Amino acid sequence: MKLLIRWSVLAAALALLIVLPWVAPATLVQFGISTLMLATLAQSWSIIGGYTGYASFGGSVFYGLGSYGTAIAMIEYHLPFGVGLILGALVAVIFAVLVGLPVLRLRGHYFAIATLALAQVVPAIVSNLEIAGRNIGLILPLLKNDALFYEAALGLLVATTISIWYISRSRFGFGLMAIRENEDAAAAMGINTTLYKTLAFAIAGFFSAMSGGIHAYWITFIEPGGEFDIGLNVKMIIMAVFGGPGSVLGPIAGAFLLSGISEILSFKISNVASLFFGFVIVIAVVLMPHGLADLWHRYKKLGLRYFSENIRENRV
Amino acid sequence: MDLILEARNLGKRFQGLVALKHVSFGLVRGEILGLVGPNGAGKTTLINLVSGTLTPTNGDIIFEGKVLQQPTFRRARLGIARTFQITKPFSGLTVLENVAVAALFGSEGGKRNLRQAKQAAQQWLEFVGLDQRLSMRADSLGGPDRKRLELAKALAMKPKLLLLDEVMAGLNQVEIDAVITVIKKMRDQGISILIVEHVMKAIRALCDRLLVLHHGQTIALGDPSQVLNDPAVVEAYLGRKHA
Amino acid sequence: MVLLWQVLANGILLGGLYALMALGLALVWGVLNIVNLAHGAFIMLGAYVCYYLFALVHVDPFLALPAVMVVLFVLGYTLQRHVLNLIIRAPMFNTLLVTFGFEVVLTNLAQMIFSADFRTVNPGYAGANFNLLGATIPLARILAFTTGLSLTAGLWFFLLKARLGRAIRATAQNLIAARLYGVETRTIYAITFGLGAALAGAAGDLYGLVSQINPYIGGSLTAKSFAICIIGGLQNPLGVVVGGIFLGIVESLTALYLGPTYTDVASFGILVLVLVLRPTGLLGRTA
Repeated sequence: MKLLIRWSVLAAALALLIVLPWVAPATLVQFGISTLMLATLAQSWSIIGGYTGYASFGGSVFYGLGSYGTAIAMIEYHLPFGVGLILGALVAVIFAVLVGLPVLRLRGHYFAIATLALAQVVPAIVSNLEIAGRNIGLILPLLKNDALFYEAALGLLVATTISIWYISRSRFGFGLMAIRENEDAAAAMGINTTLYKTLAFAIAGFFSAMSGGIHAYWITFIEPGGEFDIGLNVKMIIMAVFGGPGSVLGPIAGAFLLSGISEILSFKISNVASLFFGFVIVIAVVLMPHGLADLWHRYKKLGLRYFSENIRENRV
Repeated sequence: MDLILEARNLGKRFQGLVALKHVSFGLVRGEILGLVGPNGAGKTTLINLVSGTLTPTNGDIIFEGKVLQQPTFRRARLGIARTFQITKPFSGLTVLENVAVAALFGSEGGKRNLRQAKQAAQQWLEFVGLDQRLSMRADSLGGPDRKRLELAKALAMKPKLLLLDEVMAGLNQVEIDAVITVIKKMRDQGISILIVEHVMKAIRALCDRLLVLHHGQTIALGDPSQVLNDPAVVEAYLGRKHA
Repeated sequence: MVLLWQVLANGILLGGLYALMALGLALVWGVLNIVNLAHGAFIMLGAYVCYYLFALVHVDPFLALPAVMVVLFVLGYTLQRHVLNLIIRAPMFNTLLVTFGFEVVLTNLAQMIFSADFRTVNPGYAGANFNLLGATIPLARILAFTTGLSLTAGLWFFLLKARLGRAIRATAQNLIAARLYGVETRTIYAITFGLGAALAGAAGDLYGLVSQINPYIGGSLTAKSFAICIIGGLQNPLGVVVGGIFLGIVESLTALYLGPTYTDVASFGILVLVLVLRPTGLLGRTA
């Protein structure tokens, strides 16, 4: 019975989201597109950071590669959008595998720093490439159809979420979680940790890149700073962590909630949005480090003590 | 003689320190071979060499007639399982999920289906006596239960060879008896066992033969009562004959 | 040939400043095992404090150093004592997130208060330079270089000889034993973090002399400080000096032979390579 209720609510929410472009004002649709893309990014981070336990600070790299890959395919080679999108995603996946193999050997701090460094190197390289328009950027063919981009972004989010749902109940997913909980034990159990980590990294990269590709065609004009924006990493991570890493719907909740609040706050001053995120990160990590999903389950039992418990667990 | 495991002139060196030297022995299929010796003798190093965590500096390890060179996870697939001296549970997962992972990935690729893996996991947990704790988080278990979980995980891998590294450490007499019973059941299932232990009661109850290491070298190998009375062995332990 | 020497000289001088930049990060990382993603923001704030002291009260940047360091020390101490101490036993990732949060908050506050305009600090001697074996050495740079190295040496002696310094090292090595000896760990942690921030502030103070400042320099300076720590290793302050000078020279040479737009590629590329090939750094063990 409970399961039936849950699925019905989900279906209703999805239906609502699908029809949004035809019932909502243009600004809301645009907000929707950005939020859907951020939700996809949060979901893809969840695959490598939440399920596998490798906190990547380099999601922006794949987003940017997808963006530029799609743009170059459409501009230089006059390929249709769909093909460009796939090509961009392919570039990202190849990059994920090539770079992932050495970098995923690093643990903890070092992996995070390596991905941070990548997040700086790749845009620096791209801004020196002629074919990418150097620092000036690229202009894609113009298509003014917000509804189309909205549905594309929604479709991508649904695809990503279904993949995560499938992974979470699969042998592959359990292998990833085992790696997260204890990598040595996982290897001793017969899990090919190198293969699995790299696969997770590549899948995360794939979905991030697809998001980037849609973004590129939507905003028409791209440049390195915007497409490889390091701030995206903050957002992806905090949305996933806030919502509940390692859960299927958590990152989506985190993305929608945080985007919504930040949008309301930044009506007047543009900096307030980023400032807001900064505060949320600090407060969330201190008070609810296990995310909304955990809060949802345990608040009923503990009430306000939930927060002080979290602090007591972790302080000096 | 059907030897499931053989070590031939095995040696391991860490920079300046020689941990193992000229170690040779065979483990008969279906037997329980005890690996004993004072602290620092090289017992865990030997276990690590067999499991693949470390690679030998010289000599070979032969499993079922073939030299072992693969990385750890492939050895697990071949049928070598181990427990860790300091238990390594999948902390955030439940007890059932912990063992399910082992069932999913154990020897010969394990089960593919999550539901089947969970069913198998449940059976193994009953076998070791943890069936009342299936949905508890692994890191909320106490010491002895953690050992039981390690055993259940090793079993769910359907191993041919099981490496036990001081599984009795920190247990009281009652708990030791319980684990001895489980290990005997495992041997009855046909699993060959190499067991590192300090607890003499367990050694006497379980081992068909004993291999004694001291300063990285073999000083005795054979029937437990003979070995334990061997003057060289007594000397190595400096008179500590009983647990 | 003279050009190469000029470029090398520039690189070495820059390196001295870089070493100071990375020093605070290395201290906090080595002692508290905290990877402080807000480190660059501390540098940025140090630069702004120096700028405003100079612009409003005409205080020379070198004379302003103590004041700048005190301000940043207080900021760092407060953040550690009241926020970071609450999560210090959580997984390392949580600390990364919280310090990332600090970075975002500090950068955006700076943007709102100071505006995004580029600024420089131009004391009277800003243009002075002298000739050393054919290379033109700006006076400001060599003063910054010597100050940087002096502070580094000062920290080293402090950690070795001073009572507080040794308490810090003891806490780093063995928390429980240190507590048994009566060391008040929360305060030590806060003092260490404050010291790290103070050193970052000092670097920022000098940074304003040699480069333009704006609220967004934090991010890449944090990343560069990482690079230096990883390249040089965290064993002792000497590693940071070596790392800093190495990076300074690499950047100068890259700017000369490949062009200034490639300096980031070179520095971060080397970081990735070192991480992958030799995570213990060129000199020795990292924490």
